[in-house]
Amino acid sequence: MSKEFMIEAKKMHKSFGSTVALDNVNVKVSGGEIRGLIGENGSGKSTVTSIIAGMQRANEGEMFFKGKPWNPGSMIESLENGVGMIVQESGTVPGISVAENIFLGETAQFRRGGIVSRKRLIKAAQEVLNSIGASYIKAETLTADIDMQSRKLVEIAKVMRKNPEVLIVDETTTALSQDGREIIYKIMNQMKAENKAVIFISHDLEEIMNVCDALTVLRDGKIIVTFDKDEFDEDVIKTSMIGRELQGEYYRSDLDDSYDNEVVLEIVKGELDDQLREFDFQLHKGEILGVGGLSYCGMHTLGKVLFGAERLNAGEVLAHGKPLKNEKEAMNHGIGYVSKDRDYESLSLNASIKDNISIGGLECFATGKFLLLSGKENRYVDEQIKKLSIKCQDRNQYVMTLSGGNKQKVVFGKWIGRDSEILILDCPTRGVDIGVKQAMYQLMYQMKKEGKSIVIISEEMTELLGMADRILIMKDGKKAAEFMRSDKPQEADIIKYMI
Amino acid sequence: MVKNQRKLNKYKIQQMIVQFLPLVALVVLFLVFCAVVQTKGYRLDMYLKIVFNEGIVLAVVATGAIFIYSLGSFDISLGAATLFSATMGVLNYNAFENVPLMIVVIGVSGIGCSLLSSILASIFHIPVFVATVAMMSVLSAVSAQIITSRGGALGGISIPSNVLKSLDVPAFKIVTLAVFFLLCLYVFNFTKIGRREKFIGGNPVCAKLTGINYNKHAIIGFCIAGLSVGLGAFLTLVYTPSVTATTASSLGMNILVAIVFGGMPISGGADSKIFSAIIGGFSYILLDNALELIFDSSSGYGITQIISAVFFLLVVYAASMNYRTKTLPR
Amino acid sequence: MKKKLMKWLNVGLVSVLLVSMLAGCGKKSDEGSETKSDGGKGETVKIGVLVADVSSENAMAFSAYYNDYVAKEYNVEFQFTDALEDAASEKAAIEKFASQGCQGIISMSSSDRALQIETCEEYEVYYAVATGMLDDAQYEEYKSNEFFVGQIGASMTAEYETGLDMAKYFVEKGAKKVAIYGAFIPNPMHVYRTAGVLAGLGCTYGGASDQEGIAGQIFGDQGVDLSKVAGDVEVVAYFQGYGDTTADEFNAASQAAPDAFISVGMGTTFFAQQLNTAEIPFGDIDSFTSSNSEAMKNGKLEYIAAVYGSSIGPVFAVMLDAINGNVIRDEEGNALSINQAYAVATNGDEFDEYFLKDNSDSPIFDKETLDAIVSDTANFEDVKSLVEAH
Repeated sequence: MSKEFMIEAKKMHKSFGSTVALDNVNVKVSGGEIRGLIGENGSGKSTVTSIIAGMQRANEGEMFFKGKPWNPGSMIESLENGVGMIVQESGTVPGISVAENIFLGETAQFRRGGIVSRKRLIKAAQEVLNSIGASYIKAETLTADIDMQSRKLVEIAKVMRKNPEVLIVDETTTALSQDGREIIYKIMNQMKAENKAVIFISHDLEEIMNVCDALTVLRDGKIIVTFDKDEFDEDVIKTSMIGRELQGEYYRSDLDDSYDNEVVLEIVKGELDDQLREFDFQLHKGEILGVGGLSYCGMHTLGKVLFGAERLNAGEVLAHGKPLKNEKEAMNHGIGYVSKDRDYESLSLNASIKDNISIGGLECFATGKFLLLSGKENRYVDEQIKKLSIKCQDRNQYVMTLSGGNKQKVVFGKWIGRDSEILILDCPTRGVDIGVKQAMYQLMYQMKKEGKSIVIISEEMTELLGMADRILIMKDGKKAAEFMRSDKPQEADIIKYMI
Repeated sequence: MVKNQRKLNKYKIQQMIVQFLPLVALVVLFLVFCAVVQTKGYRLDMYLKIVFNEGIVLAVVATGAIFIYSLGSFDISLGAATLFSATMGVLNYNAFENVPLMIVVIGVSGIGCSLLSSILASIFHIPVFVATVAMMSVLSAVSAQIITSRGGALGGISIPSNVLKSLDVPAFKIVTLAVFFLLCLYVFNFTKIGRREKFIGGNPVCAKLTGINYNKHAIIGFCIAGLSVGLGAFLTLVYTPSVTATTASSLGMNILVAIVFGGMPISGGADSKIFSAIIGGFSYILLDNALELIFDSSSGYGITQIISAVFFLLVVYAASMNYRTKTLPR
Repeated sequence: MKKKLMKWLNVGLVSVLLVSMLAGCGKKSDEGSETKSDGGKGETVKIGVLVADVSSENAMAFSAYYNDYVAKEYNVEFQFTDALEDAASEKAAIEKFASQGCQGIISMSSSDRALQIETCEEYEVYYAVATGMLDDAQYEEYKSNEFFVGQIGASMTAEYETGLDMAKYFVEKGAKKVAIYGAFIPNPMHVYRTAGVLAGLGCTYGGASDQEGIAGQIFGDQGVDLSKVAGDVEVVAYFQGYGDTTADEFNAASQAAPDAFISVGMGTTFFAQQLNTAEIPFGDIDSFTSSNSEAMKNGKLEYIAAVYGSSIGPVFAVMLDAINGNVIRDEEGNALSINQAYAVATNGDEFDEYFLKDNSDSPIFDKETLDAIVSDTANFEDVKSLVEAH
């Protein structure tokens, strides 16, 4: 042992079936350091951190925590001994209260005469929430009743309650709004000040460059390079991530915001609880319409309403001038919907790539009205896999085994395969690496040029500015502002209408 | 590259093993069963016929039940529905002495029972499983009331034994099973209905956001299961022309065990397989009979059930082992 | 990958090993049974026994008598089923017995006796009923069937009369108010016993006072509707079901202070403790078991009508005769139908007559007694007189 690091992993090797996830990986993180891990989807970032946090074991290699051998059997064991992890997926139980989630498996300490004192439990949980700056979440609330961001913060509270010495944050911030992100940055900086270590995984290069002291790049299960803060250079990092320079444009470069006058999708005086208020909306043929705002401004609900998945209290949704009542009708009008919550709403994780892609377009390859033959279906699916460059073993691979970006490509494949005329994309590049992002942007632009219409709902202003012909800003369920691409709006101009 | 290709081949072989494991288990159980019967010096031909007769009703009803299970749902009332359908069939035959009419009544009763469960669930917005629990109680009680009040001292009701006797031959039953199975296979694997049912089971929220109507597909699934119940009730009457309050009482639970034995995930979804019903149904009956032969009743009642339970857990463990290997890579 | 494959192989191997081991066990026990001999002539006779109940003390007494006594005294082997729950399982059990080489089937299961006879005929094995009896119409239909040996048990009329006698016993002791436990109505046996109890109390049920009139209405009601009971003796409470009676329901009944609690089956099992505490005398139709012995000697059980373990001896004897070539027929050449009344005890000594003296070592129907009818020349009169004498 040379220098004592807070956490050290040596010669780590891990494979899943034929896929090598980690290949001779060495990582060392010191106390007082915020280390960023970056790489494309499937590069091995989550694998290495999940091994450190006890979620799974490596096939080969050894680990040390504060100089002592480290080999946790589970995430609980890991957290109890000082290494905590906040995962990308939801780690809360929906059917119990926030307080019970925070003290999951440890409510015995609140027992009085054999019965758990709910009052004491809630008080203690609220104190934890307050301590991380999430006092707006009430500990007695049912977890299923709070939104995704709050659930994420509950997870953070659950981990921070144990006062870990190493904190791993795995793409957590993608689920958080700016407020939520601030909370987590504050926690990370505080840990740094206390000479503890943080490992931070994010796809947001700008964010990771701001937050981290050093940055390790992984590609295809190998460590490529580690940059110190003073060596940070966006283009160099991007190149080392994808192993080549990005070819072609990232966002579209033109300022042409022209589109057809034909209105393909419309909301007339839409009312839905506090999410949409007297809301008028029009999407035109060949238009990329960006919708932005804060998390709760109603824009995510708008996406569902446009797809017929949520019914308005008043007003109506018209697709090609005809009222739209449900998802099936929306699909008949050529509308496709990509949800923000990909794993829960857009994919069947326990099914294959083939199942997920073909389900959207059964009628496209059916023989007659009913018969589905596998030959035609396979060709249909393979075409989408090829078109979208989905990295997989074969079409029968389970979607759950894919990386985030490839999962998202499968979702796109479902809608593009059936030649959707209108796509409603809610945060389509969330948790997706830059290579895939670029491919998606290019695809959107291609679709626009083919006369197709796209609604892109996003919390990333740069994305809207980079891709949309028209940007609609929402606040409190209402339209707060509208910008045309040709007006070259700036981020600052937009943000003032959001807040 | 070569190493990776080798690994890929291994992965594919593993997947194939997983796929065919239930079938292999059936073959192994068959061989073990034959060995046990031969060792005991019993007549194998007769025993095979018995196993077939015992397994066919289970296989038929389980085949229909796959359409419910694949939705991620569960129907505990299938046994009671079979009893009810058979009861209706007997009453009808005794009133009109018309076999075709009896078959229609049995079929309609089966479908009616199943439909009622799914409609109740959608009207009252309760889980289908809860509705089927209620249906099980109601159907058992109504059937028992009819059977005991009409059967009196006999404790059961029956049609004359010669009415369906000519159908109590393996050929008729094999053809019936084959036709019904092929019909279900077609619907399940080669139509939009089957594909959508499986997708609902995998993720109902995603299915909804892909334009799939849960209620419509649940009703179709329950209708097919109802048809299998009717067919099962008819085959029950072919084998035994009488119905007692306990007829088919263990069928509902046996279906669950059989489907799991057949390699179908209990949560439904894309991995649902229509073959599971037949493979699992006959595997279960073979296992049950083999154990019955190995442990004669003097060895202690219930021991065969305990061993069956151990096998059941083993199968579930093996299935979950496969599941876990799929969940980790990212 | 290797590890995973190994895991699968392990599971597979364990399964196969388990099955092989179990198969091995079976073989051994089977060999054991084949070597058993009591010095009788020729091959061991195999008889299959259909049972619907495997756990009650009564059922265990029956199987102990056949397995531990009869099988040792005669060159015979019994195969018992698990608890049969419906007609299909009865038919399958007969088919299995036939394929195992059983030459006779003794039935203690009653889902569909007509089908049992027809199945036995199909496989050419003899058939006899050991508990209960066929319905009159069924008997008429099958009495000339060459494989139907006969029935020795309690007819529905016998069940009715057993209930009737028990009720009369308590009425004669001065009972004015009673509670009734109808056991597992709509089980026909329990329906007829309960009908007998109502008749024995001098009550009418829905205006009916005869056996079929009362029983028919109980079948229709699936129980006893107290509002339909009329008579001098008041029925203050009625229960039924397998352990369905709650403590509150029982307490409410005991508040009405019945003079007797009349049960038509398993009364001791479900109520003895509460009846002892409430000091309510009770009667039951059950079997001669240790728990009933305790209830009669140290509790409030005053009257019990019961069968005893070896009461199924004569039916074995006639089955063995039939297998050996002497198919005994009644005077008209039909299958035997002999009513076997319940034995009654009203005190500890009477109880012990059947309880202590009838065991696997020296049953009432022991070899010496049975030998009177196990012969090539035994006839209907011999059997009838032997059954009626016990």
